[in-house]
Amino acid sequence: MDFFFKDTESCKHIKWSKLLDDIDDTLFYNKYCNSSDYYIVFRQIVVSMLFGKEIILLDADFTENELLKLTGFSVFEDFNETLDKSNFLMPSSKESLIERLKSTNNNWKIILFTSGTTGIPKEVVHNFESISRFVKFSKIKTICIWGFAYNPTHMAGIQVFLQALLNGNPIVRLFGLTSAKILNEIEFNKITHISATPTFYRLLLPCERKFESMQRITSGGEKFNERIKEQFLMIFPNAIFNNIYASTEAGALFASHNDLFSLEFGFEHLIRIENNELLIHNSLMGKAGSKVQEWYKTGDLIEVVCDKPLSFRFISRNSDIINVGGYKVNPIEVEEIILTHPGIINVRVFSKSNSVLGNVICCEVLRENTSVDELSIRVFLQSKIQEFKIPRIIHFVSELTTTRTGKIKRNYI
Amino acid sequence: MENKMLEIINLVLDNRIKVKIENLTPEMHLRNDIGLDSLDLAELTVRIEAEFDVDVFEDGIVYTVGEIFEKLNR
Repeated sequence: MDFFFKDTESCKHIKWSKLLDDIDDTLFYNKYCNSSDYYIVFRQIVVSMLFGKEIILLDADFTENELLKLTGFSVFEDFNETLDKSNFLMPSSKESLIERLKSTNNNWKIILFTSGTTGIPKEVVHNFESISRFVKFSKIKTICIWGFAYNPTHMAGIQVFLQALLNGNPIVRLFGLTSAKILNEIEFNKITHISATPTFYRLLLPCERKFESMQRITSGGEKFNERIKEQFLMIFPNAIFNNIYASTEAGALFASHNDLFSLEFGFEHLIRIENNELLIHNSLMGKAGSKVQEWYKTGDLIEVVCDKPLSFRFISRNSDIINVGGYKVNPIEVEEIILTHPGIINVRVFSKSNSVLGNVICCEVLRENTSVDELSIRVFLQSKIQEFKIPRIIHFVSELTTTRTGKIKRNYI
Repeated sequence: MENKMLEIINLVLDNRIKVKIENLTPEMHLRNDIGLDSLDLAELTVRIEAEFDVDVFEDGIVYTVGEIFEKLNR
């Protein structure tokens, strides 16, 4: 079983030879990538790497309003340019394609948008070295079959894509499918590796089937509930569970089989601990906008278990950003948008823990009058922000809950 | 309880401008028949918990309306 990409939702089964043909047939290039078709996104990334062209990844569900804010444009057809192939030697095989991609020019840039700590999502720029730093190569890695369980325009999705691509592994789309279809895809394609959010895994339960092909299950963010983990051991009897620590800017940084993390050899100089806070060197982050300090404060607090080699546990994660089923939501961004509603005086956006998605977005609203109702706020927001950022529970209050210092409380309902 | 559940599910559907349902039967599948996605299911748990004080999704996901009734009747 060797293919580049399979997506049952869009009836695509792309062999490596088809990818090579499509690259050969590509005459135009557009640096903005804003497609809901995973194959188009993947192909555009590959073309951008081969030609050393900048690529800007935009979520397919960004609203017109969000696109304008982020890029200054909402349509991108004018950015089509003719691809100069005069000095381009087309790779003739899968192997030569992968070799060429592994030596991608370091001037190549990939830009994505991530929920920052203030206001609207911020731009994160990576080059080949910074984005592929954690790709692992080995003989065993060349026989993996990846279940693709992230949005392809997000950091985690890009990292899984590069891990699979640069090892020549087939990729099977799982993200966005129903749980029954996901399980069928795992079985039919004999998927060996999945990296996904805890929410993705939770939605596969209950399941009475067994999948012996699975070798590794990777998850990040919240910890797996032990009961859920037990059920997964029954479903995937041969799999090893892996827990990763990832940041939106740098992607996956550390991996562990439990909640104790240690640094891989050679990365010691790239992290620092100050007042129990984890700091990461900016070379791991690409260029997150233009104002990057040498050391980036993650806001995540850790407990050091051993100094040399360094190992640690996370005590608390950066609390302002809300993780909704793996999607990062910045409450400040949501508040700013809600406040543009003419009938709303003030708002507090906060999270409530939830057994389906980890967290759900809620808000308290101070309104002008009762004609502003829950549905009208949601309809207003639907054209302005992505669906997962829209509060699912809206309370109308006569005053907002604040902390004693006058700050808005975010983790209290 | 069944009427209240119908009311809650229709509120969740209405909030996403999805087509409401007229009646609820135990064999109805939350995703395939009613058309709820994971965001809707998350909202559904919050609203059910507020009404019945039970987190129906606590130990894994439930598929059907009947499974929700079972958990609420425990």
